[in-house]
Amino acid sequence: MKKIKVTICTGTACFVMGASDLMLLKEKLPDELKNKVDVAGCTCMNECKGDKNGMPPYVKIGDEVMHHANVPDIISRLTELVEGK
Amino acid sequence: MNTDNSIQADTGSGETFIEVDHFQMCKYNQHSPGDVFLSEKNPADGHTITTLSDGLGSGIKADVLATLTATMATKFIAADIPAKRAAEIIMNTLPVCKDRGISYATFTTVDIEPDATVHILEYDNPPYLLVRQNTAIDPVKEDTEFERKDKNTAPKVKAILHYSTYAAKPGDRLIFFSDGVTQSGMGTPAFPFGWGVENAYTYILDRIRDKLDISARELAHSVVQEACIHDSFLPKDDISCGVVYFRNPRDTLILTGPPLNPKSDEALSGLFKRFAGKKVIAGGTTANIMARELSTKVTVNMDNLDPDIPPYSDMEGTDLVCEGIITLGAVADILESGTTSPLGRDNAATRLVDIFRNSDRIYFVVGTRINEAHQDPNMPEGLEIRRNIVKKISGLLQEKYLKEVHIQYM
Repeated sequence: MKKIKVTICTGTACFVMGASDLMLLKEKLPDELKNKVDVAGCTCMNECKGDKNGMPPYVKIGDEVMHHANVPDIISRLTELVEGK
Repeated sequence: MNTDNSIQADTGSGETFIEVDHFQMCKYNQHSPGDVFLSEKNPADGHTITTLSDGLGSGIKADVLATLTATMATKFIAADIPAKRAAEIIMNTLPVCKDRGISYATFTTVDIEPDATVHILEYDNPPYLLVRQNTAIDPVKEDTEFERKDKNTAPKVKAILHYSTYAAKPGDRLIFFSDGVTQSGMGTPAFPFGWGVENAYTYILDRIRDKLDISARELAHSVVQEACIHDSFLPKDDISCGVVYFRNPRDTLILTGPPLNPKSDEALSGLFKRFAGKKVIAGGTTANIMARELSTKVTVNMDNLDPDIPPYSDMEGTDLVCEGIITLGAVADILESGTTSPLGRDNAATRLVDIFRNSDRIYFVVGTRINEAHQDPNMPEGLEIRRNIVKKISGLLQEKYLKEVHIQYM
């Protein structure tokens, strides 16, 4: 099964608003998700520019962007995706 | 922006940069060093002056004596006051130590004119070492006695000022140090009377022969660390070493911030590609733009995470890619504090500081496109505008570390 890719934005706005905690995601994943997910960082995704409604930090799960991301929300969404498949 | 799209001066042979650096360790039971370095480059007359003073005793008292002495020596030399008169004023102004009833501090001052004529004044520090390429040269010195007004607060020994002058050539080095270096290891079987001047000289020459282009920073570190080893890692006195090196400049380019006009992205990438020297990009958006223009990728390094500083990234053709404002703010703090690596951490900020401190000429290209996200009132305060933080870093690099800095805005 193809792994789900989680990309964490490490740009200034995201880092200030909590991305530094998100970067430890791999360690915080429950066992059943650990080998189904790849976690990587990226430089500014540009989500913070312009008139978007969502707040940083931004995380991409697959191709969808999550605003105001936090570890519990990410894990929920990942679980949904894994069970949905 | 320059029409020729390049920012480096022609670095043909003959261009010399004066690298001045020093390193010191406090006596093991003190928090303040009693040896003080003061270095400055005077923009008005182009002189570079560096002074080392060793204050009587150790700790805060010695720090005060040494600071007064170093400051006076540097200012007097900069003002062209005759050396003997300067020495007398300094020695007669120093406060008297309550416990010992003496007022005393040593000094070595190196004054370099723009045409590379060097004047060195020494009072009671171990004699400096002059090295041309990798050979020691014996300087010719003129000795003058000077008078202490108050005989009771002066040491009993005659006060002798040594003066020497010579014309520096590229590749020359001047190494000077306090007696914490020469007296290291005193009382040990290896060095019953201390390491001594001759041994210190031999060590320095060996280091230079091992690495012909060893930087002033690295050489000063090596000398102090070697002396510290002789004292079994508990310095018995403040150990200080300063080095002046007439060298080929090491250049570093740092891009931070996207250009105001996206049409300039290509020109910026050309400038970046052509630059000869170390290359840094401070800013995720800027890095993305350069990666696109240069057809390469940015990969965030998640292996060495720091809680306070965003992670650095790798990109082909770049020595360091990091985040912008937060990292630069931390760089300014570290440069201001003068430490090499706070708490022994290794993150984007400490790495950038290392690159700056191992460079001689630093070129900033600051993009002026405003990042709207930073202007949001919901964001924490203290996200300084890029321009201000770059100016602050530039000031520190020039005044505290005697680097040459150029800033260009795009």
